Amino acid sequence: MTRQAMYVKMITSSLLRRRSRMAVALLAVAVGATILSGLVTIYYDIPRQMGQEFRSYGANLIFIAPPGGDTSGEGVSEAAAAEALSYIPDSAVVGVAPYRYKSAKINEQPFMAAGTDLEGARKASPYWFVAGEWPQDDGFVLIGQEVADTVRLLPGSSFTLTGTDDGGESFSKDLQVSGVVQTGGSEEAFIFLSLSDFDAAIGGNGNYDVVECSISAPQAELEGIAAQISENVSGLTPRLVKRVTQSEGTVLTKLQALVFLVTAVVLVLTMICVATTMMAVVTERRKEIGLKKALGAPDRSIMQEFLGEGLFLGCVGGICGVFLGFAFAQIIGINVFSRSVSFQPLLIPLTIAASALITVLACAVPVRRAVEVDPAIVLRGE
Amino acid sequence: MFWRLIRGALFRQKGKMLMIAFTIALGASLATAMLNVMLDVGDKVNQELKTYGANIQVIPKEASLLGDLYGLGEDSGAAERYLRESELGSLKTIFWAFNIVDFAPYLNVRAQLLDESPDAAKTGGEEIRLVGAWFAKHLDLPTGESVDTGMRNMKSWWEVDGEWLTDADEDAAMAGSLLAERAGLAAGDRIRVGAQGGTRELTITGIFNAGSDEDERLYVPLKTAQAMAGRAGVVSSVEVSALTTPDNELSRRAAQNPKSLSTKEWETWYCTAYVSAICYQIEEALGDSVAKPIRQVAESEGAILEKTQLLMLLITILSLAGSALGISNLVTAGVMERSREIGLLKALGANNAPVSWLVLTEVLLTGAVGGAAGYFAGLGFAQIIGHTVFGSAISIKPMVIPLVGLLVLAVILAGSIPSIRLLLSLRPAEVLHGR
Amino acid sequence: MNLLEIKGISKIYGNVKALQNVDLEVKRGEWLAVMGPSGSGKTTMMNIIGCMDKPTEGAVILDGKDISKESARSLTATRREKIGLIFQQFHLIHYLTAVENIMVAQYYHSMPDEDEALRALDRVGLLERAKHLPSQLSGGEQQRVCIARALINYPMLILADEPTGNLDEANEGIVMDLFRQLHEEGSTIVVVTHDPEVAEEAQRTVVLEHGRVARIAYNVIAPPIIL
Repeated sequence: MTRQAMYVKMITSSLLRRRSRMAVALLAVAVGATILSGLVTIYYDIPRQMGQEFRSYGANLIFIAPPGGDTSGEGVSEAAAAEALSYIPDSAVVGVAPYRYKSAKINEQPFMAAGTDLEGARKASPYWFVAGEWPQDDGFVLIGQEVADTVRLLPGSSFTLTGTDDGGESFSKDLQVSGVVQTGGSEEAFIFLSLSDFDAAIGGNGNYDVVECSISAPQAELEGIAAQISENVSGLTPRLVKRVTQSEGTVLTKLQALVFLVTAVVLVLTMICVATTMMAVVTERRKEIGLKKALGAPDRSIMQEFLGEGLFLGCVGGICGVFLGFAFAQIIGINVFSRSVSFQPLLIPLTIAASALITVLACAVPVRRAVEVDPAIVLRGE
Repeated sequence: MFWRLIRGALFRQKGKMLMIAFTIALGASLATAMLNVMLDVGDKVNQELKTYGANIQVIPKEASLLGDLYGLGEDSGAAERYLRESELGSLKTIFWAFNIVDFAPYLNVRAQLLDESPDAAKTGGEEIRLVGAWFAKHLDLPTGESVDTGMRNMKSWWEVDGEWLTDADEDAAMAGSLLAERAGLAAGDRIRVGAQGGTRELTITGIFNAGSDEDERLYVPLKTAQAMAGRAGVVSSVEVSALTTPDNELSRRAAQNPKSLSTKEWETWYCTAYVSAICYQIEEALGDSVAKPIRQVAESEGAILEKTQLLMLLITILSLAGSALGISNLVTAGVMERSREIGLLKALGANNAPVSWLVLTEVLLTGAVGGAAGYFAGLGFAQIIGHTVFGSAISIKPMVIPLVGLLVLAVILAGSIPSIRLLLSLRPAEVLHGR
Repeated sequence: MNLLEIKGISKIYGNVKALQNVDLEVKRGEWLAVMGPSGSGKTTMMNIIGCMDKPTEGAVILDGKDISKESARSLTATRREKIGLIFQQFHLIHYLTAVENIMVAQYYHSMPDEDEALRALDRVGLLERAKHLPSQLSGGEQQRVCIARALINYPMLILADEPTGNLDEANEGIVMDLFRQLHEEGSTIVVVTHDPEVAEEAQRTVVLEHGRVARIAYNVIAPPIIL
């Protein structure tokens, strides 16, 4: 048998035949590693997850007609809008709602009719509170609370929309209310039609007055996208909705700082906990260290054996921790954000290395102290 | 004798006991810090979310939002309605006054930019929207308190090129970036603006970029706007930024119709900082007003707050579970080490109960010292987090003390009782012979 | 020729004089017992002979080399090479089997060799217990493993501290038989004990009292050295 084989044998025996004690140590290391990998995963996923939550503030990028002309002029052509949207990565788009506006009347009361992609509007403005249903078919519309109050309409009631279309002809269209929108803002004075209803009744040049986009991206990236679009797409001007983008940046930064600090504090304390546990486990074995010294073991060999054990524990604990930690982060992701978190492959070596390092360091201190003691004292002392 | 044994154990094996106390202190400080931060994170994040601006808009009863839109409505002949400026102070006297962070009144005036300045580049006679507002107004309340409020705090995302207006500066104005571009205005320019109540010469102190239709407007101090509109002491709307509790079933029902609630429900609702309850109280305080939550802000705040709190709760649970395992491990190891001593005591004729009490008391005393030290260290950690992240102190919740106490107790018992039972089950002779 | 020569050593702990000016010689192949009541300096003597401690004064010459001034490191090397230790508490590593416990000593000394370790176990009559853990062995068996471990590196000096202190009479007999056998094979043995019956087996008994050599007794009934 070679020395290496004996070394391995001693370490594995120590680990396997002292099961309960090693389980204690392994548990401590694994818990530490779990917390490390779990919290770090969450920390890295926070901007993405929280960013999604912040999309409930609605559109953060809008396309409007390029300045220069009269604002009520050409608008944004469908082609330009599609071109501009191609600059936004698909995965980041939460919702896109193009709008066409035209004043129209119900019972001779003037309101604003808006043609939009209702599905898109629902995604882009999740904060709309709709009493009733979102329209599923053509012929069904959403009306603002104020419209409902003024004309006394309820979900389910029918009405006739009248007005003059783009050609100057008067039109009239029968529509049914499927829901009433509350936002606390100007949307409450609108009638929202599907684009096809809008075109059928009012017509138009097929251009949008405004395109609202809700994009899940950090502020800097969003600014980059806006700059790219304004440079490359001629038919429109992208504008960031400052109130949403700026504030999101501020709040998200704070949140991330919060999780960072909490993670740091938890990690430091957990690591100290792991270290003290390891120290206790090693300190218990002072007698064994004394015996090995009495048998003539050089200090270096004893250190090597304990560090070997520590390294093994750290690695096994780290491996357990990586997966448990990811499972934990996943639980948080699903419970808090209803979304799964992304796995950071870099965390595997990082967690294992960190837990191995901490375990080895935690072993080294008490072993070093123990080997300095005279073997005679350890062996005789009870 | 019992205490003498304890004293001996505690003071003569200082090293081991210190180690256990230290670990318990770590765990307790972690629990204290996390619990304090978790309990306060709602308030803190709520404060941060105020950067999104107002979440409540107050308008006169029967006034139409249509006036806001595309210039519709104002010509329709409906009598214009206003809120009284003198009543605004009473916003700070409602039940939830403390939750009202900021508010700002606005008065919309239709005005023309007159071309009488020597600079020929400036377009003349153009219709503009003039808005009078409070910027950083100091108010003395009848209650003897005073508040500083206004839109400066509420529009944190505005980028101002130049200076913010002050309320005292009655001959000054701030122009939106789109308006400024169109009319060729820059900070320092002087313009003449005419309206119903007369013509004023104003100095532009700054150009702002708000990223919304506010960029089309010209802002002046409220007094100036009132003078120009010829309507003293009135405002057309008020924006309120309030700290609110996320909506639930009750508050949604109340928002539809407060009268549908039972007396008890109504009291619960009225005394909780739901946005609908605050709106209701604002309506009570300001005559002939309608207060509406701005859903874009109010809803999202609720969502984000809830998520953040849940997130912190789960992180807290994780870290507490982790440290609990660690400590109870160590306590177990600490007790197991005493096997020889317990064997000896049993050999000397001690019964199980006194031996268990002896060990438990020892560990509990150690735990109490560690826990107390940890509590205060934890307060320190919490404050570090509060100051670094939010720039303000985390409020210390007394309820954390019993929580941490219970936690430490539970962890110590969980760590020591099984090991004590195990040791008691051993025969003294075996233990003493070191098998 | 003397294997061990102790010349005027003293050991002082604080103001306690554990040993005062002690002289002692151990010949190669000799079986010596060190006796004395508690506090007589027995343990200190054993620690110094076993290269686990150094005297405050005086010289300890082991195999022609003064070890009293050596560093802790080279003292460890000397212990590894020249001394075989047997303890009252056996001190086996509880997570290693009997044969592995013996191999540990080989491992620190040179190269672990399982066959040789098994032969050593066979010699103390424990071959069939080779794969047992210490907790599965009786006290006497553990002590025999301890003896096998002490012998495995062919030490110049076997140093036993109360080797029978924790054993019943039957096991004591087995262990003493082993010592006798070792002595017959020419090993040098120093046994520290307070048991006169154990001491009687040795050729010579040194009695310590208050840190001094009180008397030296030659045992006539000891078996003669047969080579």
